[in-house]
Amino acid sequence: MFHLKQGRATALGAALAAALLTSCAAAPAENEVTLDFFQFKPEAVQEFAGLIDEFEAANPGIRVLQNSVPDPDTAIRTLLVKNKAPDVLTLNGNASFGLLAEACVFADLSQEPVAKKVLPAVQDILNANGRCGGSEINGLPMANNASGILYNPEIFAKYGVSVPRTWDELIAAVETFKANGVAPFYMTLKDAWTTSPALVNLAAQLQPEDFFDRLDAAGDVREDSPVSFSKDYQELADKLSKLFSYAQPGAAGVDYATGNKAFADGKSAMYLNGSFAVPAIRAANPDAKIASFPYPVTNDPAKTTVVSGVDVALAMGRETPHRAEAQKFIDFLLSKEVVDKYTKNQSAFAPVRDAAPQQDPALQGLAAYFNAGRVEGYMDHRLPPSIPLVNITQQFVLDGDKSRFLNTLDNEWFKVAARTPNRGDQ
Amino acid sequence: MTHSTKAFYWMAVPALLLFVTLHTVPVLTGVLFSFTDYAGYGKWNFVGLQNYLSLFKDDRVLTSYGFTFLFAITTTVIVNVLALGIAMLLNARIKFQTAFRGLFFIPNVLAILVIGYVFNFIFSNSLPLLGQSLGIDWLSTSILANKDLAWLGIVGVSAWQSIAFSTILYLAGLQTIPAELYEAAGLDGASYWRQFSSITFPMIGAFFTINMVLALKGFLQAFDQIVALTGGGPGTSTESVAMVIFRGGFQGGEFGYQMANSVVYLLVIVAVSLIQLRTLQRKEADF
Repeated sequence: MFHLKQGRATALGAALAAALLTSCAAAPAENEVTLDFFQFKPEAVQEFAGLIDEFEAANPGIRVLQNSVPDPDTAIRTLLVKNKAPDVLTLNGNASFGLLAEACVFADLSQEPVAKKVLPAVQDILNANGRCGGSEINGLPMANNASGILYNPEIFAKYGVSVPRTWDELIAAVETFKANGVAPFYMTLKDAWTTSPALVNLAAQLQPEDFFDRLDAAGDVREDSPVSFSKDYQELADKLSKLFSYAQPGAAGVDYATGNKAFADGKSAMYLNGSFAVPAIRAANPDAKIASFPYPVTNDPAKTTVVSGVDVALAMGRETPHRAEAQKFIDFLLSKEVVDKYTKNQSAFAPVRDAAPQQDPALQGLAAYFNAGRVEGYMDHRLPPSIPLVNITQQFVLDGDKSRFLNTLDNEWFKVAARTPNRGDQ
Repeated sequence: MTHSTKAFYWMAVPALLLFVTLHTVPVLTGVLFSFTDYAGYGKWNFVGLQNYLSLFKDDRVLTSYGFTFLFAITTTVIVNVLALGIAMLLNARIKFQTAFRGLFFIPNVLAILVIGYVFNFIFSNSLPLLGQSLGIDWLSTSILANKDLAWLGIVGVSAWQSIAFSTILYLAGLQTIPAELYEAAGLDGASYWRQFSSITFPMIGAFFTINMVLALKGFLQAFDQIVALTGGGPGTSTESVAMVIFRGGFQGGEFGYQMANSVVYLLVIVAVSLIQLRTLQRKEADF
C-alpha cells in the first residue's frame, strides 16, 4: 500500500526532469545583467511581477529576479549571514530594518535624485529607526500604510452615530452599539500582532515627547531612569485595556483572517486595524462597507494624528556589483506612474511629492491627516525586536494585569540594554 | 595494513568528513559566537562571558526552561504509558493485527507541522462548538487561547504523534520475550499483573530506557508543534527554549546571546540524557 506504482514513479520522474529543464532554459544571456530582487510582501508578488515585466521591456539587457519568501525579516538575516545581500530589496520599514541599516549592510541612497521627492516627514520616520553612520539614507519609502480605526458606515448610520472626534465620543459610540446588541469591535486575539495597531496609536498620542530617545539615553539601570514604561505608560495601558474590554465573546480564539471576514460581513461596527487590512477585507467580501477615522485618543481633536509606517522601503545591497542597474530599477519603482498604480491597488499611501493622493473611499478619513503631515511613527519600531512586544501586549489585553504589563516592558527593555551596551555605536 | 582494514577506512572517512563539516564545525562556530555580541550580520566584538551571565538574569529564558521541562516530562510519561499499553494490545492475538499495527503507525509518518495545524483548527473551532453545545465552560473557548490550558493542547498533540514511534519500539521489544516464560508463569498460577511486572517489564527494560531517553530528548527540543499550535502564546506562556533561541537569535538580532543559550541548553540536554541512561540501565534485567 505504501509502494509507489512503477508507472506513477516514472511519470513523476519525467515531470521532475521537465521542471528542471524549463528552469534551465531561462538562463540569462552573456551580456545581460540579472538583478537579485528580494521582495518581502507576499500579497504584492503579482503586483511586482507585472512591474518587473514593464521594467524589463523598457530596459533590455536587465533582468530582475523576484525572490519572495515567508518570514522575510528572518530570511534577509540568513542571507546576510551568508554574505549574499540581494541587489535590490523591499522590506517593511520596521525596527528590524533599522538594525540592518545601522549595521551598514545597505547602500547610501542620499545622493539619488529620486530621494529629493520623498515627503520629509516620512523619510524622518524611516531614518529614525536606524541608519548607517547616523547620516546616510539607507531606504527610500515606496508606499506607506496608515493605522486608524476602520468602521462600517452603514452600521454607524443605522444607529445615528457620527464619527467620534474625542475619546469620550468614542466610548459613547461604543456604548450605543453595545446597548443595541451590535458588537462594537471585532477582536482577533489569537494573532498576537493584531493587538499592536491599537497599542501604537495610543502610544503615538499619549507617550511623552522624545520618550524613546530619553529611554535610549537612560542606559541600563532601571532604578536611575527618569523615564520608564511604568511611569509614562499608565494612561495608555488603561485606555488599551478599556478598548479590549469591549471584545466580542470568544475573541481570544479568533484569528486575523476570521476577523477580516467577520468585519467584511458587517458583524461589528468597528475594526481596530490599519489600511493594510483593507485589501484583505475586500478579498473576504468584495461588497464590504469600509471607512476609517484616526484614533481619537484624547479629548482634544487637535492632538489627533494617524500612525504611519513605511510599508515598503526600497534598499540596495551595499556591495552590489550592478549599482547602475539597481539604481535604474529603484528610479523606476519610485516613478509617479508606478507609485500611483501600486498605492491604488494595495490601498497604500504615496510617500512621494508628485504622486496622486489616495482616492479610496475606505481611506479618506486617514488620507487628510496623512497629506497634512499629521503623522507619527510606529512606537514598536523603536523597540529592539528581541522584546516580544506583541506577545506581552496580547497577554495584557487577555488578563488585564496592568502593573505586570508595564513591569514586563521595563524589565525587558533594561535587560536588553544591559546585554547590548554597544548597540548604538557600531 | 591489511586489505580489509583499508576498506573500513574508505567507508568510515567520508562519513566522518561529512559529519565534521556539517555538524562539528557549525557547533564550534556557534560556541565561538556565544562569546561575542554578533547580531547575525555586521561587525562583532568579543564580550567574554557576558552573554552567559546575562542568561541567568533573564527571566524570559528561565521561564522557558521551566515550561519546556514541565512539557517534556509530562509528555514523556504520557507517551510511554500509552505506547506500552498499545504495544501490548497490538502484540496480543487479535484479528487484523497487521492492519492495526499499520494504522497506529500513521501519525509518525505525518509531519508534525501538518498535524499541528489540523489540531489547531480542531482546538479553535470544533472543540469550542462541542463545549458550547454541552455547556462545558472551559471547553467553549479555544484552549489554545487560555494561558493556563494551552500547554495541555501542545502535550496532547505531541503525544498523539510520538506514541506511534514508541509503540513500534515497544512492539519490537515484546517480540523478543520467549513465550516459554509466560507458559511457565501460567503453570505456576501467576496473575496477569504479576506476569507483567515480573516478566514483561523487566524483559523490555532496554527498550524502556531507549524510549524514555529519546522521548525526553525530543520533547526538550520542542519547536514545530508549538509554532503550529500557539506560536508561543498566549503571551509568552508556551515559549520553549528552542523557540526563544530562534526568536531572539534570528528574528531579534541577538545571535551571540542566543548562541550562549544554545550552548547551555546543549549541556543541559546531554546531562539529562546521561543521568537518565545511568539510572534506567541499572534497573534493566540481564539475560
